Amino acid sequence: MSSYSELIKNFEKIRAYMREFYVYGFKSRGGYSSKSARSYDDERRRLESWLGDHMSFVRTPEGKNIFISIDSRTIRHNPLYNAWKAKSFTDGDVTLHFILFDILHDPSVRKTISELLSEIDETYLSGFESPQMFDESTVRKKLKEYCEAGIIASEKEGRKVYYRRTESTDVTDLDDILHYFSEVAPCGVIGSFILDKEEADTDAFTFKHHYITGAIDSGVLSALFTAMREKRAVTLSNLSRRRDLPRRNRIIPLRIFISVQTGRQHLVAYYPEYNIFQSYRVDYLSNIKLEEVTPRFDELRAALDGMQSKMWGVSVKRNKWGSEHLEHVEFTIKIEDGEDFIVRRLEREKRVGMVEKIDEHTYRFVADVYDTSEMVPWIRTFICRVVQMNFSNRTIENQFKRDLESMYRIYGIGEEAAE
Amino acid sequence: MIFSELYSAYYNTIAAIIARIIDGEQSEKELQKIVTERAFGESALTIIPSLKSEKWQLVHSDMTTPLTHRPTMPLTTLQKQWLKAISLDPRVKLFDATFPDLDDVDPLFTPEDYHVYDQYSDGDPFEDAEYIRQFRVVLEAIRTGGQIKFEMTNRKGNTMFIRCHPKRLEYSEKDDKFRLVTAGWRSVSTVNLAKIRSCVPYTGEKQLDGEEREVRHDVVTVKVLDERNALERFMLHFAHFEKQAEKLDKKHYLVKIKYAHDDEPEMVIRILSFGPMVEVIGSESFKKIVIEKLKKQLNCGLK
Repeated sequence: MSSYSELIKNFEKIRAYMREFYVYGFKSRGGYSSKSARSYDDERRRLESWLGDHMSFVRTPEGKNIFISIDSRTIRHNPLYNAWKAKSFTDGDVTLHFILFDILHDPSVRKTISELLSEIDETYLSGFESPQMFDESTVRKKLKEYCEAGIIASEKEGRKVYYRRTESTDVTDLDDILHYFSEVAPCGVIGSFILDKEEADTDAFTFKHHYITGAIDSGVLSALFTAMREKRAVTLSNLSRRRDLPRRNRIIPLRIFISVQTGRQHLVAYYPEYNIFQSYRVDYLSNIKLEEVTPRFDELRAALDGMQSKMWGVSVKRNKWGSEHLEHVEFTIKIEDGEDFIVRRLEREKRVGMVEKIDEHTYRFVADVYDTSEMVPWIRTFICRVVQMNFSNRTIENQFKRDLESMYRIYGIGEEAAE
Repeated sequence: MIFSELYSAYYNTIAAIIARIIDGEQSEKELQKIVTERAFGESALTIIPSLKSEKWQLVHSDMTTPLTHRPTMPLTTLQKQWLKAISLDPRVKLFDATFPDLDDVDPLFTPEDYHVYDQYSDGDPFEDAEYIRQFRVVLEAIRTGGQIKFEMTNRKGNTMFIRCHPKRLEYSEKDDKFRLVTAGWRSVSTVNLAKIRSCVPYTGEKQLDGEEREVRHDVVTVKVLDERNALERFMLHFAHFEKQAEKLDKKHYLVKIKYAHDDEPEMVIRILSFGPMVEVIGSESFKKIVIEKLKKQLNCGLK
């Protein structure tokens, strides 16, 4: 039986727990039926260790509920990044790492593997009571790993291979840039890794409407960006909320769609098997394997560019023969004197479509989109002033009106008049 | 690969410990302080004991080290790729900084690789020369603790002349705007950065008192009906608030959300956007606003 460590080998396991604790936070230990009780205890303890004061609990009849509660407006750095800084390593890994970089302390210093081996033994380890032993293949493997990471460079001269550290990159001028972009840019955790090595900390920025949840999907996002950069197909696991087990799909990733209002991130990709464009929730994706380069990438992305003027959110309705199904959406609102800000809201919040002025107090929004249902939450934000609507998708329009009726019932509105 | 020990809190902490030992520090208590500051809650149980016991053969049991250089590591390719991606963002021009030479690196992503689809379209003019100049004046004053003065037009259309301590810049991803949070200014504490004019450092001798104004918070309590995936949508939508959720029965959940009082109008419409799946239970004043809006809607004559 292995003993507990606050470090982890596999990020995927903790990803699901972090989501549960952060996004939901109402399950007690018994609610995690699919995982063993010991696993739950270990992951909870790790999160407590990484996140400290951000972890809270409440006692309920079902037991103790653990949750992560963070007002992201009050923090300067995303605390969920800590999970990415908890990778486990072996005693040999850490010893070798620091010794190698002590020997190769400057890019001008270069050594062959046999020079490195003898220096490791004689200069560094011989002073210990029971010195660790590193054989040539272990050191070679580590150097190869570091060459791939870009922190060591190898140079061949005749039959000899020399290793040296790569040149340092001066980031002292980038302190504010790193603080800001590590919070707002995709894969910001990488900026946080750079900040960790720096001493300066100006902390000039805070953030509002700041979704920190995406941090735990940074690994998936980074792999998808790599695939897009290299114009590759990928095979990935997609866990739909309608299925218990993830499904493996081979797709061509085209663009990441980020929402700053719902906390969700989607991948829009081309699914060759069915000749369709499809969106996938990034938080449901895992186990991404880069496949072959595809010659169709530019053509498919150009097709997506053309579709975006008809997308309110992430839905694309184009069938396998390439024909599109568009839905017409129209709604009219009335405003009172001094409510010009409502018109400004329509203008700045619309993503597609247009706003028409009917008279001084009446404005109409018109659009043709793939999926009317994606617009409904936005239209509801104009409740108290919607005077007319006309959706070509009658089912959605009727649902909208039925929902309004339900809301009147919930709050007892209109009942006074009926009585 | 993002998940690597090269970026780990442990490696960074060990580097800091070795650097201090090389500088002559041998007190275990002082070194343990580095662990508390840089690593995790339970790291104290592992890091110093593993070094001291020679499990990690970098420090001898007497807290000396065979290493002779303060540990440093070059940036990885992944870090450089991310930096290169950032250098392509138009907002980078706000900062008076020179990027290192990254000519031989591909960006991790380009603006073509992602699309923020629900950001408001009237964001700040990040590429406007005057906006950039003012941004830098403010940032420098925050860094140095100095004062600034500027002009702005208030809601009544009158010009105001302001002197204050800029404390921080709050960026909203949804609005794509910076707000300047200040202290020492009596009437207002926060202003949209794009609305200030003629901003310069204040070099006079008049001092200002006062700290950043405290934010007044309220709590809204709602009952979520988990139909049409409402629970997941709701919890994600409000994920950035301090909140607490409780399961009431198979389909109903009670959620309490703490929000800044000034944001109440925004909270009301965000909750309304969930339609009948979310019912406001309290506070009474919040519920009253929702009911008023619905009453007005009922009178709109929507058929």
